[in-house]
Amino acid sequence: MSGVISTTDVCRYFGDDEETMVKAVDRVSIEIERGEFTAIVGPSGSGKTTLLHLLGGLDNPTSGAVELSDTNIAAMSGAVLSDFRRDHIGFIFQSYNLIPVFSAEENIEYIMLLQGVEASERKRRVTDMLKQVGLEGLGNRRPNKLSGGQQQRVAVARAMVSHPEIILADEPTANLDSKTGIALLDLMKELNENHNMTFVFSTHDEKIMSRAGRLIHLHDGEVELDETK
Amino acid sequence: MLLLKLAFRNIFRQRRRSLLTALSLTGGYILCVFSFSLSEGSYSNAISFFILDHTGHIQIHLDDYLLRPKIHKTIDDPQGLSELLDANEEIESHTLRVFAPAISYYEKDNSPAQVIGVALDRERSTSTLAAKISAGEYIDNALDAEGYYSAMIGAGIANSLNIGLGDELILISQGADGSIANDIFIVKAIVGNRASPDRTTVFLPLIAAQEFLSMYGSVHEVSILLKDDGEARVQAAALQDQLPELTVDPWQTVESTFYQSMQADKQGNNFFMGFIVFIVFVGVLNTVLMSVLERTREFGVLKAIGSRPLKIALMITLETGLLATLSLVVGILLSLPLIAWFTFTGIELAEPMDVGGILMSHLTGELSLFVFGMPLLFIVVFALFISIPAGMRAARISPTEAMRSN
Ligand SMILES: Nc1ncnc2c1ncn2[C@@H]1O[C@H](COP(=O)(O)OP(=O)(O)OP(=O)(O)O)[C@@H](O)[C@H]1O
Ligand SMILES: [Mg+2]
Repeated sequence: MSGVISTTDVCRYFGDDEETMVKAVDRVSIEIERGEFTAIVGPSGSGKTTLLHLLGGLDNPTSGAVELSDTNIAAMSGAVLSDFRRDHIGFIFQSYNLIPVFSAEENIEYIMLLQGVEASERKRRVTDMLKQVGLEGLGNRRPNKLSGGQQQRVAVARAMVSHPEIILADEPTANLDSKTGIALLDLMKELNENHNMTFVFSTHDEKIMSRAGRLIHLHDGEVELDETK
Repeated sequence: MLLLKLAFRNIFRQRRRSLLTALSLTGGYILCVFSFSLSEGSYSNAISFFILDHTGHIQIHLDDYLLRPKIHKTIDDPQGLSELLDANEEIESHTLRVFAPAISYYEKDNSPAQVIGVALDRERSTSTLAAKISAGEYIDNALDAEGYYSAMIGAGIANSLNIGLGDELILISQGADGSIANDIFIVKAIVGNRASPDRTTVFLPLIAAQEFLSMYGSVHEVSILLKDDGEARVQAAALQDQLPELTVDPWQTVESTFYQSMQADKQGNNFFMGFIVFIVFVGVLNTVLMSVLERTREFGVLKAIGSRPLKIALMITLETGLLATLSLVVGILLSLPLIAWFTFTGIELAEPMDVGGILMSHLTGELSLFVFGMPLLFIVVFALFISIPAGMRAARISPTEAMRSN
């Protein structure tokens, strides 16, 4: 196994003056291996979202480095960073993941369009992904005609379809009832196992945590505990 | 294709707002087209009026005859010039003229007159002189039994001298050689009415006028009608190169007072339209910015998954452009019949309107590519322009902040 993504003393502070400054992420050094199924856990405000955004190159660290495939994301910006995210990182957000005016299929297809994947190949991969996330026959539906769980499955499919190195998911199940949430997580786990796809997700939910192979506990922006099962 | 779909569907997302925006775009466009059509139409009517009445598209004189007419400023080889002009493919026809002020007499009355000698056959195909005759007939070069030439006189002279067809008109003027010119002409036609611009003109056969003014074989003016209306400046410049010793002017110079007032009027018109377009676009800008703000999260996601900032900005431009295009298509479809009617039928005016010094009793428009194309270009360019700030705003949305703004 080799490291997909790693951080070295990465910090993200909000605010300028000493007294009111929030250390959302403080001196975090972690390494995620290929094929890991890792959960970032911790109380509200502990820095989970901030850390995931740093890992995904959505946010720039105050100091420290974030390396993905031996590239320091922290040093990139603009179109280069956009392209890097497009090709190397998949994202699943808590909600409002999908473009409402696109059908499920089109939502999945869009990212491949950005990548310049050929039309026939796009079509083939969309069909394949819909099958893998259990949404066969629902490809033509717009997000508002899909349940919350189904929408998140489309988001998973969209994240997978571009063949990223890692998929980052910020509380993907937070808006789902627990049964649907667990089903979504099982789907992610299955994709993790079948495709050796690396997942890092954050959660509050004990049942969800229990399915992770590794738990990184955050507290006030610092890693409190890092346990691999 | 998918991007176009996205733009299209986003437009139909807020149906009512898009419809209102589209309506203002369509309305603004139709207003602009109508206003353009009106101004182009009335001016091109005025232009064709005086071009055909006497000015022609191009005039040739000696030196500054146009500005300071003097009887001795003559074109001395009109025959050679005529041959040259007749051979020119761009020229429809041309005519030769001489001018002199004179006093006209009949019995005990007298009246000032402007004598114009015209090459009769050429004049017929170059100006509307023949059509302006209200009584009698277009004259010819022939001398009558007593050796007098014929004349066509303005209705004003006919009235003040109380002279009629067949009567003998006496003209007194000064010849080119300084001699006193006087002769008798037989009135064969009355031109126009008492309000016509040429109410005090006496038209003579060219040869008669030349003899009368002792300026054998030379003329003061050549007026040219082109085959193509729009070519006056270009052809004038080309002729000037061929005729370095003469002065060649397009109608824009000959009728410079009219031309300048027309340009000024058109500028005012453009300003007015700029104002309309501005108002329309404040509305469009508002719509576009609002739709960007509403979709902050969406743009955040699009950026997070790897859309380049420029692509996001282009999406906004595409949306705005598409909305503008749809509105303009509707605008063209609606204004086409309107302008066609306006051009071919027009509006009858209760009071004649002054168009750059020419009275028009009928308002008609113009149906041309310019009339439709110019506002179109204007609106498209403005729409794209307006999408820039909105696009920049969307492109700058930070995914982290978009994700946090629940
Ligand atoms: N843009 C910001 N400006 C100021 N403070 C911020 C900003 N973003 C996050 N923070 C602060 O950083 C800390 C970490 O926030 P973060 O959202 O990462 O926590 P979290 O673990 O994801 O919380 P939750 O479980 O509620 O989602 C919080 O104290 C938060 O208020
Ligand atoms: Mg969070």
